[in-house]
Amino acid sequence: MQTTFWGIYCVWLRYFKVFRKSLIYGLVTTFTEPILYLLSFGFGLGSLIGTIKVAGMTLTYKQFVFSGIVAQTVMFQGFFEAAYGSFIRMYYQKVFQALAVTTITIPEILWGEILWDASKASFSVFVILLIGCLTGNFSVLGSVIVFPFCFIFAMLFASLGLLVAAKARTIEEISYPQYLFIFPMFLFCGVFFPLETLPKYVQWFAWLLPLTSVASIIRSCLLGLPVIPISILITTIWLIILITWSRRAMINRLVK
Amino acid sequence: MEKYLSENNLLVVENLKKIYSSKKSSFTAVDDISFTVKKGECFGLLGPNGAGKSTSMNCITGFYPINHGKILINNIDVHKSPKLARRFLGVCSQDDSLDTDFSVIDQMVTYASYFGIDKKTAQEKSESLLKRFFLDDKAKENVESLSGGMRRRLQVARALVGDPQVLILDEPTTGLDPEVRRELWDIIVESREKGMAILLSTHYMDEAERLCDRIAILHNGKILDCDTPQNLITRHAGTNIIEEEIRPGMKWKRPPNIEDVYLNLTGRGLNIN
Ligand SMILES: Nc1ncnc2c1ncn2[C@@H]1O[C@H](COP(=O)(O)OP(=O)(O)OP(=O)(O)O)[C@@H](O)[C@H]1O
Ligand SMILES: [Mg+2]
Repeated sequence: MQTTFWGIYCVWLRYFKVFRKSLIYGLVTTFTEPILYLLSFGFGLGSLIGTIKVAGMTLTYKQFVFSGIVAQTVMFQGFFEAAYGSFIRMYYQKVFQALAVTTITIPEILWGEILWDASKASFSVFVILLIGCLTGNFSVLGSVIVFPFCFIFAMLFASLGLLVAAKARTIEEISYPQYLFIFPMFLFCGVFFPLETLPKYVQWFAWLLPLTSVASIIRSCLLGLPVIPISILITTIWLIILITWSRRAMINRLVK
Repeated sequence: MEKYLSENNLLVVENLKKIYSSKKSSFTAVDDISFTVKKGECFGLLGPNGAGKSTSMNCITGFYPINHGKILINNIDVHKSPKLARRFLGVCSQDDSLDTDFSVIDQMVTYASYFGIDKKTAQEKSESLLKRFFLDDKAKENVESLSGGMRRRLQVARALVGDPQVLILDEPTTGLDPEVRRELWDIIVESREKGMAILLSTHYMDEAERLCDRIAILHNGKILDCDTPQNLITRHAGTNIIEEEIRPGMKWKRPPNIEDVYLNLTGRGLNIN
């Protein structure tokens, strides 16, 4: 079906208007979580652990975990906004259905949805990058380079959220992938500790999940470590699969 | 195609067939229906629950893909060029699809933007529509604080904000009080006089008889008959005064109406000849 930039922008703007209207709510939900993690793990745990060795380089734990929290924010903000948000908009509010009988088409609605979710995640990411730079933990150049990549990674997790929303029969069912996929990634994909500390077969498994690659790329950019080539490949594959699959699933859910 | 163009038809439904299919089963909800709605005409779609009215309308808006046939809005195929065809389409769906994240007025203005209408025009148009629908005192309020009937009215108002030429109303008057229902009838008549082609579904027979220039009786996905209300009545309910016993000992004489036609055709009629 026809897809135009204008149509996608209209959808994006609808989300932005709602966000702007409840700005306080938006800011609190977007920024508190990552900032709490930064405080607790970065400053709290970080001052206990001191330095660690990653890929032959010595880093402070604070640097390590700060960059991990950037990846975690990309995932959480992207996934949750898309999963719960799009389920509510599709199932309860019927926003998609109302839009789809105007000059906006369903493909445009779904692009608008994912791009908005990624935009919202990027607002959070921006604040963390700023804090990281101001506290001297990130390189400024690295932060500038990583920002557009974070947007793309947020699209990856937003598509995952959209897929979950399309497949969930009730809003409660979103909890399954949340506990079985998102939380394990959060804990075992190199956000809080280097993967090398895990047994080899767990490491292999972790590398199959998207967050490991995403965290690795983000950390490499921010801390000036070498980028692991396979991580780019894994992220690209996940991105293509999830975007294609989520769009197909949501169209099947909406259109009978 | 040529024959439709010459007749000033704003909406053409040609051999529409819709099959709902899942892994387990498939079900033909609309089975080869055809009709046209002219400029300034109100066309009624009547039929029992599950007859396929909403399904047809969802196909006509281009929201659902169709299995066979063709839908032309303003001579544009809605499934081939939805953007172009829907520019002049206004839809009030059976389900409430109001955007609860917006206030009443913002809802209208935002919706207008989806038709490419500029902000200033949208604001003026929305204000005048809200006034016409007696919702202007609620303009700043959130949609959630409206009563069921007000929400319904707002949904019809929203359908009009894009200046449509074809208006699709799926049970617009359900849940409205008698007075408001009459107000909405006036608005529908006005829209028709302005030249809109209106497709209306309803379960109120008096409403259909009053508003519709032509009526199609839909049953199990098929059109059983389609004509002006008067012709349908003559054909299926006769011209004789009907005597009905509404309660033991209480009889009522009345002329035949569309309800008799409906009941006769869809199977629970009195079989008056
Ligand atoms: N998504 C769907 N999947 C499968 N079958 C469906 C679906 N939606 C509707 N149907 C079936 O299609 C038939 C027509 O439904 P439709 O909603 O078009 O009826 P309707 O004429 O609008 O009825 P009502 O007066 O109750 O609104 C019904 O038998 C219904 O069960
Ligand atoms: Mg219906």
